[in-house]
Amino acid sequence: MTDKNRLGKVYLFIVFVVLYAPIFYLMYYSFNSGGNMHGFEGFTLEWYSEVFHDTRLIIIVINTLVIALLSSAIATIIGIVGALAIDRIRRKRVKNTILSLNNVLIVSPDVIIGASFLILFTIAGIRLGFASVLLSHIAFSVPIAVLMILPRLQEMSPTLVDAARDLGASRRDVLMKVILPFISPAILSGFFMALTYSLDDFAVTFFVTGSGYSTLSVEIYSRARAGVSLSINALSTLIFLLTVILVVGYYLVSRSSMRNRKKERAAELGVPE
Amino acid sequence: MKHLVRIFAVVLIVAFGLMALAAKLNSSQGYSGSNTLTIYNWGDYIDPDLITRFEQETGITVIYQTFDSNEAMLTKIEQGGTTFDIAVPSDYAIDKMKEENLLLPIDHSKVPNLSKIDPRFLNLDFDPDNQYSVPYFWGTVGIVYNPELTKGIAFNSWNDLWNPELRNNVLLTDGAREIMGVSLNSLGYSLNDTNEDHLQEALRKLEKLSPNVKAIVGDEIKMLLANGEAAAGVVFSGDAAEIMDENDTLDYVVPEEGSNLWFDNMVIPKTAKNLDGAHKFINFMLEPDVAAQNAEYVGYATPNQEALKLLPEDISGDTRFYPPSEVTSHLEVYKNLGKRMLGHYNELFLEFKMHKG
Repeated sequence: MTDKNRLGKVYLFIVFVVLYAPIFYLMYYSFNSGGNMHGFEGFTLEWYSEVFHDTRLIIIVINTLVIALLSSAIATIIGIVGALAIDRIRRKRVKNTILSLNNVLIVSPDVIIGASFLILFTIAGIRLGFASVLLSHIAFSVPIAVLMILPRLQEMSPTLVDAARDLGASRRDVLMKVILPFISPAILSGFFMALTYSLDDFAVTFFVTGSGYSTLSVEIYSRARAGVSLSINALSTLIFLLTVILVVGYYLVSRSSMRNRKKERAAELGVPE
Repeated sequence: MKHLVRIFAVVLIVAFGLMALAAKLNSSQGYSGSNTLTIYNWGDYIDPDLITRFEQETGITVIYQTFDSNEAMLTKIEQGGTTFDIAVPSDYAIDKMKEENLLLPIDHSKVPNLSKIDPRFLNLDFDPDNQYSVPYFWGTVGIVYNPELTKGIAFNSWNDLWNPELRNNVLLTDGAREIMGVSLNSLGYSLNDTNEDHLQEALRKLEKLSPNVKAIVGDEIKMLLANGEAAAGVVFSGDAAEIMDENDTLDYVVPEEGSNLWFDNMVIPKTAKNLDGAHKFINFMLEPDVAAQNAEYVGYATPNQEALKLLPEDISGDTRFYPPSEVTSHLEVYKNLGKRMLGHYNELFLEFKMHKG
């Protein structure tokens, strides 16, 4: 191993330690019977049982997941249509303007977006609750989905569409059998980006929750005044583990489907394995 | 393509499944239905068992939501869009809400338990005759200190904070009214003073405190003091109780020059839908045994004199948190000084903070 290589590995190691140390610190104390994060007194599962007995907290976790799944699915679909439309625009200036407008929404501060939504919803007379949270999550996820999908569309060679048309594909076929499969990796990454944005969004959600409807980030924040209990650590540990399982699962599934696809393609072309 | 459709189908199925589960949990907890009462309170500021008991006694289902600052709560209620039947703001916020017409008057005939409240805590400046608010918890501002580190300083006076032995060892709560109030009190002025000369004098005095100030912090002050990061700190009594719960070597004192007396009161916002339920809830919270149970759970001081008798002696007899009337008589409640004066207080405090930085 060269020195350069070793240096790189050390660097990588340090980065990962910095990224994961706080999470493991938090997980470690979720088993602390002492009730605080100052000193480890003994092992207990008390905080985990507290999480499962706190129905309100569980409802809030479910709310958070439902909002994340629904909003990112809807936002991805809107984002696909939006990206296709933007890609169609021939005039460069119009296209750039629309793209910049899309990007402005991504960089503009969450608090501003949240406050504007609050004002909009109250003027429109929409009751704060599930609908208002869902709508605003969809809204801030759409630009992200567009931004993930558009580059992939632009990467696609126009000759691919031409060839399909020449071979007699209808417009619908072109969309369904050529364009969408080609951009599907980008669609998935857009979906997952939107999912994570929605899961941890505090600033926007803070403004638009109401009438007994709340998400995890808002709930933890308002509990913080009285000192966050270790049951929040326990809950965070569970969520972290769930995410790890999902990521590993996704990796395994995508690897096996990739192998299958390679096999299929090889069979189609008549290439012996 | 099929692949994508399948993924989206799974996502939707999972989402709707979870929604059904949440709805089921909600109805099993009784969070749905028409006879509901929406309560907006500070985080972790009520014993959850009491909500269950209230629901069982009255058949009203409670939707409980929390906030973390008076300002956040004010914004939500001002904007409408929510239908809170009960909110629990602090004294100055009540004054503000009254001014902005956000409150409904309380029908005293429906709250007979109001008589159980210690008269000291009724008819106060921010709400004469308790037309709009009913006391929930109260407390003071004082000094938490670590006798092991401060060696003999008794902190009977605010001036003890200026003791040169405390160099770089004092933490302050980040609040303009609180810290300006400390300085004004230490000079013998009222913490509602609006005399410009007095305010300037208070600022100069604060600047002399700078070498002793380690940091001006928010909620972290509890953790820092409990961990012994500083010898003394200016905090609210409720925070002090929590700090001392964590670390019992610490002690709390309200200096004799005077200090702030604060209140969190129950009010009925203008947006309330269930007025009858709101009155029932207020009256329920004033039941002596309920108030006592709540005070024991939350750890703040109850204004309910009947409840006080039911509390264990080591809580109710603790004069640090239940100071006798000769102490409270020279404590002051914040007056609403108006937007301009409040801005001026903030400016002076900011000047002190910059000087410190």
